[in-house]
Amino acid sequence: MKNATRRKLEGYMFILPAFIYILVILGYPLIYNIVLSLRNVNVKTFASGADVFVGLENFKTLFADPTFRKVFKNTLVFTFGCLFFQFTIGFIFALFFSQKFTLAGPIRGLVLVAYMMPMSVTALLGKNMFDVSSGVINDLLMKLHLIQQPVEWLLKGNTAMGAVIFMNCWVGIPFNMLLLTSGLTGISTDIYESAEVDGANKWEKFIYITLPLVRPAIVAVLMLGFIYTFKAFDLQFVMTSGGPLNATDVLGTYAYQLSFTQYEFSKGSAAAIILFCCLFIVGLFYLRMIAKEDD
Amino acid sequence: MKEKIRFQSPKERRKNIILCLIALALAIAFLFPLYWILCMSFKTDSESFGKIVTYYPHNFTVQPWIDNFKDKDFIASLKNSTCIALLSMCISMVLGVTAAYGMGRYKVPGSKGFMLSFLVTQMLPASLMLTPMYLIFSKLHLLGTYIGPALAIASGSVPFIVVTLRPYFKNVPTALDDAARIDGCNVLQSFVRIMIPAIKTGIITVLVISFLNGWNDLAYSMTFNVKPEMRPLTANIYRFQNKYGTRWNCIMAYGAILVLPVIILFVFLQKYIVSGMTAGAVKE
Repeated sequence: MKNATRRKLEGYMFILPAFIYILVILGYPLIYNIVLSLRNVNVKTFASGADVFVGLENFKTLFADPTFRKVFKNTLVFTFGCLFFQFTIGFIFALFFSQKFTLAGPIRGLVLVAYMMPMSVTALLGKNMFDVSSGVINDLLMKLHLIQQPVEWLLKGNTAMGAVIFMNCWVGIPFNMLLLTSGLTGISTDIYESAEVDGANKWEKFIYITLPLVRPAIVAVLMLGFIYTFKAFDLQFVMTSGGPLNATDVLGTYAYQLSFTQYEFSKGSAAAIILFCCLFIVGLFYLRMIAKEDD
Repeated sequence: MKEKIRFQSPKERRKNIILCLIALALAIAFLFPLYWILCMSFKTDSESFGKIVTYYPHNFTVQPWIDNFKDKDFIASLKNSTCIALLSMCISMVLGVTAAYGMGRYKVPGSKGFMLSFLVTQMLPASLMLTPMYLIFSKLHLLGTYIGPALAIASGSVPFIVVTLRPYFKNVPTALDDAARIDGCNVLQSFVRIMIPAIKTGIITVLVISFLNGWNDLAYSMTFNVKPEMRPLTANIYRFQNKYGTRWNCIMAYGAILVLPVIILFVFLQKYIVSGMTAGAVKE
């Protein structure tokens, strides 16, 4: 009995430092954030300490603000746009590279570099490639006769959003490919062989064997993809600064602007809380799935 | 996975060649942006901003790279990047590896709750943490230091390490640490001398990823270190963009230098990075 207590103590000794660190560095700010969002802290009241409790006032102001509503819509467009393209292309990549050929492994590895790059450099690259006059994208499209005149990618709202989604997919595709590949390699070849004996064609094998068996990987990659994309920050911040006219601003960059360029700390916190709530709802499903797998 | 692929019939060999060619074409198209950053960085000023886009440097020059390395502000930022990345890596490793060991080897009450809190942490957006952390760090006089950003970045790496390494520790046979105990090692000694070397693969994985988390960080370093002298390369991108104006070759050389460590680590440790990304499926 004594031994068991000792072992528990040892266990806590290993776990607690990290847990306390997480509580202090994240739990405390989270609560602090909620408190902030319910008060009116800005640059004036922070210095004088004259801030007061305002209840849900900040949230009401935000939802009444057309700019915030636009930003919220942008976040959804950006997230679902990215999810659609990066998942579809990532899945095609995963299927292609799961075939057996000499270069499958090395090239699949190579593609992953895009995923590990600093997002700020990816953004910088996007800014250069989508430049109106010296950008390579316009030049390529003109050479292919797909456009007659240079497109002002980052100067117009819709095209700027398209460009940002494009760059984010460049990072997202390898991520999707990687997770889906690990799902695909888990399927035993026996199943395919017995299906062939039963006379299934390629398409039927994909629909009735591949899809159901990689379903857990698909669900995981979509949920994780949602979480990472919905909270995007670096890409928009460096590539477009949220412009033109908030057209590429997302909740992450907008919350930052409210707090650190307008010094409206309380409003910034409220925007960040709204962002977190959206992530948390999807996150709960993800956590439930992991918990099931773990048992 | 390691099985050698052999192609017997000419038909299979032809299929292999075709698939390889398609894969190569895909790789070239997909990695074009990476080529582009290098290509731009070796162009002369006029070529990099010319109306005519060139697909390889017609007048190859290393001047943009030299310009960057001659710049005192650049060297300072490079140093800051390295320090912040290394410091956050150390904090993350100490806290993360011990916690992963505890979670993997001990059955303690509340371990489900611990795991949950680590997983929820991955969901927190940087924007949520910035404001409160900024206000707290300003009270603790941690703004404009390496510690502020390093502590904040580690909040992403620690949960990643726990999630990734826990299964590794779980799979080490108990006989190994029992033997260590019999030989007179205490808990900490057997952890450091026996357990950590036993999961070397996993350790390398999380070392690399937690270093890159620090190296790639923008939001935390930018917010907590307002003075450009204390900012890493990522956070000074705007500053150098203003400095270089339309000299895209210099800006791209700047970016290329930021990407270089990633590529070097990737070339040598690809196996570890890939396994880490699959196992944890998290990236902060």
